Amino acid sequence: MPEIFVRLDRCVGCRSCEMACATEHSAGKSLISAASEHPRPRKRLYVEMAEGTKLPMVCRHCEDAPCASVCRTGAMTQDPETHIVTRDAEKCIGCWMCAMVCPYGVVGRTAEGRVALKCDRCPDLDVPACVAACPTHTLVFMEAEDFSELLRVDAAARLARGYRSRA
Amino acid sequence: MVATICPYCACGCGFYLEVERGQARRIIPRSDHPVNQGALCPKGWASLEMIHHPERLKWPLRRTADGWERLSWQQALQILADNLRRIGDTRGPDALGFLSSTKCTNEENYLIQKLARTMGCANVDSCARLCHASTVVGLRRSMGSCSVTNPLSDLANSRCILVIGSNFAENHPILARWVLQAKEAGATLIVADPRRTPTAWLADQHLPLRPGTDVALLNGMVRHILDQGLHDRDFVQRRTTGLEQLRSSLADFSLARAERITGVSAGELARAARAYASSPASAVVYGMGVTQHASGTAGVEAVANLALLCGQLGRPGTGILPMRGQNNVQGACDMGAMTEFYPGYRLPEDPRTVQVFGAAWGSTCLPARKGLTSMEMMDAALFGTLKAMYIVGEDPICSHPDQSRTRQALQSLDFLAVQDIFMTETAEMADLVLPAACWAEKEGTFTSAERRVQRIYRATDPPGEAREDLWIVSNLARTLGLNFPYTDASSVFQEICRRVTIYKGLVDLGDFGGFWPCLEPGKWNEILHQDCFPTEGGLARFLPATYCPSTQEPGADYPLLLTTGRKVCHFNSGSITRRTPSLLAISDHLVVEMNPEDAAVLEIVEGDRVWVKTVQGSASGYAHVSGSIPAGVVFMPFHFPATNRLTGDARDPISHIPELKAWACQVKKEV
Repeated sequence: MPEIFVRLDRCVGCRSCEMACATEHSAGKSLISAASEHPRPRKRLYVEMAEGTKLPMVCRHCEDAPCASVCRTGAMTQDPETHIVTRDAEKCIGCWMCAMVCPYGVVGRTAEGRVALKCDRCPDLDVPACVAACPTHTLVFMEAEDFSELLRVDAAARLARGYRSRA
Repeated sequence: MVATICPYCACGCGFYLEVERGQARRIIPRSDHPVNQGALCPKGWASLEMIHHPERLKWPLRRTADGWERLSWQQALQILADNLRRIGDTRGPDALGFLSSTKCTNEENYLIQKLARTMGCANVDSCARLCHASTVVGLRRSMGSCSVTNPLSDLANSRCILVIGSNFAENHPILARWVLQAKEAGATLIVADPRRTPTAWLADQHLPLRPGTDVALLNGMVRHILDQGLHDRDFVQRRTTGLEQLRSSLADFSLARAERITGVSAGELARAARAYASSPASAVVYGMGVTQHASGTAGVEAVANLALLCGQLGRPGTGILPMRGQNNVQGACDMGAMTEFYPGYRLPEDPRTVQVFGAAWGSTCLPARKGLTSMEMMDAALFGTLKAMYIVGEDPICSHPDQSRTRQALQSLDFLAVQDIFMTETAEMADLVLPAACWAEKEGTFTSAERRVQRIYRATDPPGEAREDLWIVSNLARTLGLNFPYTDASSVFQEICRRVTIYKGLVDLGDFGGFWPCLEPGKWNEILHQDCFPTEGGLARFLPATYCPSTQEPGADYPLLLTTGRKVCHFNSGSITRRTPSLLAISDHLVVEMNPEDAAVLEIVEGDRVWVKTVQGSASGYAHVSGSIPAGVVFMPFHFPATNRLTGDARDPISHIPELKAWACQVKKEV
């Protein structure tokens, strides 16, 4: 299963991911309806400023996800195959247990209702909207092994260049 | 689904508009587009919100004593024509001023300058004056052509990228894609900017120079390269002239002096100079941090000197990339919407120019001289010699420096007509307001910063009775009795291909457009200056760039230095983005960025309402205290009207670009 990964050194804080997320999750799949649509479309990932840099915070769809395991009504469930955690708006009672236990703070709420809101990894798309929108390839969608390889190759190239310039 | 090009910056990203029941409902980025590959920045994502915005202008309006009166198009065009005719006849055509729009298509710019010039008026200009006039003048003087030399995506092939006065990560986020690709392949990224901007976060080396000292920084680097013999002797000998003049002009420009002026250590400057000069392919990206100075032309020439000296031109991964701000600012300049040039950069002083266009347009009264720049039009209006202005898609009240002076200038006109999509601050002052169609409502071509000429298609109908600028200008010209036999954008583009040599072969633009210069269909050079420069003799010239200290040294009354720039979620004068809900949700007020040290002295904390004062005026905003800005410097984005109340009227003597990046100011907490 490919997952969303963040390459920590690349984000420039342009917030394209947030816009694309809100767009994909609006009824008309369009930002224009953002002002008029009910419920108002909301983003499910957040670009945060910390320690002088910016980082997109996006649901990790954790193994044995805390948000799903504390959900009292069964609104938040994790697919055993894909590990994707989704919530059923009909069942959610807004007790916010999920928000309290999420280690990344990426469980939000809808604009109008007391209903939890989080990344559903864009079930209608091959590549999640935030990943496709990212101009700098900070967000990537790939298998965990491939992501590690990407970082490994990057690190190897850096090492090689440092080594070469020293030699 | 309708293919279109983003209406914001000059990257020229492609996306589709999905249209449902006459409404543009959704944006689908084009993953096959060579510039953006399916990515967009937040402004691009939010561009839908301008199309069906409730505040769009819907009908022609005339100012009366009781407010705005709705007119029919026939009445409005008659009033406009009568006033232009009356003032042109009694005062002479030089009493008229035309501002064309870099948001409009090539075709519309071509017609607006044709309208002005066939009326005998040389005063036609555009907002290119405010962003890259110094580039147009400076690069033409040194290498004969004034555009980006290499495609944006070619930055990925670069091994060293020097960025001066451009915060592309916020302002042209798509560029970051290509720069990061180069970095991944081992390129060095050097960013010279007073602030530690998001672009500087990505850099291997950040040179935090003092605002207004770009020329000194570049001169110091050039001198070091000459001293160390790091320059490309072969290139300099074969392709350039004037090295000795350059060398002697830098006699007193040691690294130590550059360090004193810029505040960047000599060691850092030397390291940057060595990295740029010795890499196999280096590119310079620069923005308004270099151009918007009273010495803007010198800044551009200093950039050109550096690239020429190191032979970093004409190959993949090299080049000079002035980052243009508006989607069609390149096209507007190509089409002659600058008073120095007829279409295709033909000089008005050249007798052949007037002959050729006179014959083409059937006009005997074309002006054979340069007229007033947009800055000079404001002077002339104040002086009483300019009596009427027709402003298309520009908001000088917000974008020109010294707002109170601009306001006075526009007030002293006999007649002001403004054509725009929203009631901008400038339109509020007009006698006549004409509602224009926005980019999604018309056909035509845009020329992006990389010289890529791309088509846009009509996706929706304009609101109310708003009309395409092309329709308005053609009908106005016909009301004036001029010969404007154009039916649609393609008939104008055909004429452009015939009259503008660099566009000659661009008859079939295909999916992703074509690059100029293009003399034969399908044949163009994406990389300029491969074998020779488009100058007489084919050589580029070194032009000594003189460092002039800013007149705005902070002193006792105004101890801080104000610099202006952009934020990622807003655009230029903000007349569109300040009306876009999803961008306002991210950033809705004017911030005044300042260093924690300065803030502590003034007892200002994050979020305080503060007043910023300069000799010109004062403005209030909300403090953002941040270590990313050096002590002694204050930053304000110019997307809010208040910012240009603070800037004054100093300009580059050659290109007339205003100084917008270094003004002495004081900041006070609101009590």
